[in-house]
Amino acid sequence: MAIVLAAFIILSLYDLQRFIRKKEQAKVFVIYASLMAASLTVSLLLAADKRPASPAQLIEWILKMIGVVK
Amino acid sequence: MEKARISSIQLFLLLTGFLYGSTVIINPALGAKNDAWLAIILGGVGGALLMGVYVSIALLNPSRTLVEILRDRSGKFVGNAVSILYIWYFVHLASLVFRNFGEFMVTVTFPETPMIIVIGIFAVILVYAVNSGVEVMGRLSELFMPVVPVVVLIISLSLITTRDFTAFLPVLENGMAPVLKAAFGFITFPFGETIAFLMLFPHLNQKGNLKKIAALSALFLVVLCLVIFMRDISVLGSGLMQQATFIPHLTSLLIPGLNVEPLVDINLLIGGGTKISVCIYAAVKALSQVSGIGDYRKLTTAITTFCVVLSIWVYENVLEMLSWAEKVWPYYSIPFQMVIPLILLFLSLKKRVKPSNVRNGS
Repeated sequence: MAIVLAAFIILSLYDLQRFIRKKEQAKVFVIYASLMAASLTVSLLLAADKRPASPAQLIEWILKMIGVVK
Repeated sequence: MEKARISSIQLFLLLTGFLYGSTVIINPALGAKNDAWLAIILGGVGGALLMGVYVSIALLNPSRTLVEILRDRSGKFVGNAVSILYIWYFVHLASLVFRNFGEFMVTVTFPETPMIIVIGIFAVILVYAVNSGVEVMGRLSELFMPVVPVVVLIISLSLITTRDFTAFLPVLENGMAPVLKAAFGFITFPFGETIAFLMLFPHLNQKGNLKKIAALSALFLVVLCLVIFMRDISVLGSGLMQQATFIPHLTSLLIPGLNVEPLVDINLLIGGGTKISVCIYAAVKALSQVSGIGDYRKLTTAITTFCVVLSIWVYENVLEMLSWAEKVWPYYSIPFQMVIPLILLFLSLKKRVKPSNVRNGS
């Protein structure tokens, strides 16, 4: 858990200081933060052995519901 | 648009590397068992036709990326919505190849190393390549891609004495149905995935060569896959081939007195690396165009981090990965690889025909 947090902090600090120095638009911050937050949330859940339902399972379920996959 | 330009040979090598990608690990044509050679040929023909659709879209919309074409042809709102779906598709594809690569490395080469470390280190290198731009990706493929057929030839020729050339017989023992199913799988994986190249085609310096490049790369992959299949089945036999998970690796272990196992890893690194970098480039470029951010490089780290996390999250184990790639992936890909591109081609042709009709009418 601590390693995951450390990795994300290093990555975010490296990029964010670049963004601040170059005075990037707000949407860059928003998209960057959304992607990193989603990645961090899933990483923490995986590290805590609480694997959420994966997109692959969701896609398979949808295709089964439509009747494409048996 | 980015001013980077790639030559015809660079695009050919990028396409070939992309197509070869993770077929070292997952080759849907092998579902046809002994008749996989037939599935490879049929799938290759179908795949070349599908790539022809993508090339036609690119030629009808010169200097435009997939996102720009979608916006032009279907309006800004629908275009952006479909583009977001494509961003997801490219991210998903990149994460699946990351996982293929990770599973192979952890099972075969580094059994003591956690998969996230293997994938993470690979991702750092690929972020550097993608941030360097499409020209550097093209030059890297020029440098590394020639190694792939050489490695395939080295392994194939080393095993020339231990072969049963009748191993692929009898032909069509189970009828045509499994062959057609496997051929369809081979069309969607890897040929249909070249839809990602609609984000790269505008960078080609000689657009006239696009059709030739696509056809040659499809032919090259079919020949390469046929050589690999014939080698594997004649060395391992049909029974063992159906049971093995990483077939080329197993074949390479059988060479007497010579350890060429790392060569298979190198091939995977080159093919997988090319495929992932193209997918990440396509996703990041599309995202930057949809959101109106000038430089795609700002989002590369975030997208690649998400791909790495998704690659660990997406499957629980290697068996789930192989089963999903065989049973779900071909059908999941149909809208992205066939339905939307065919609609785009139709709309592009319609738009091209319209002005001449107006002139004729007046």
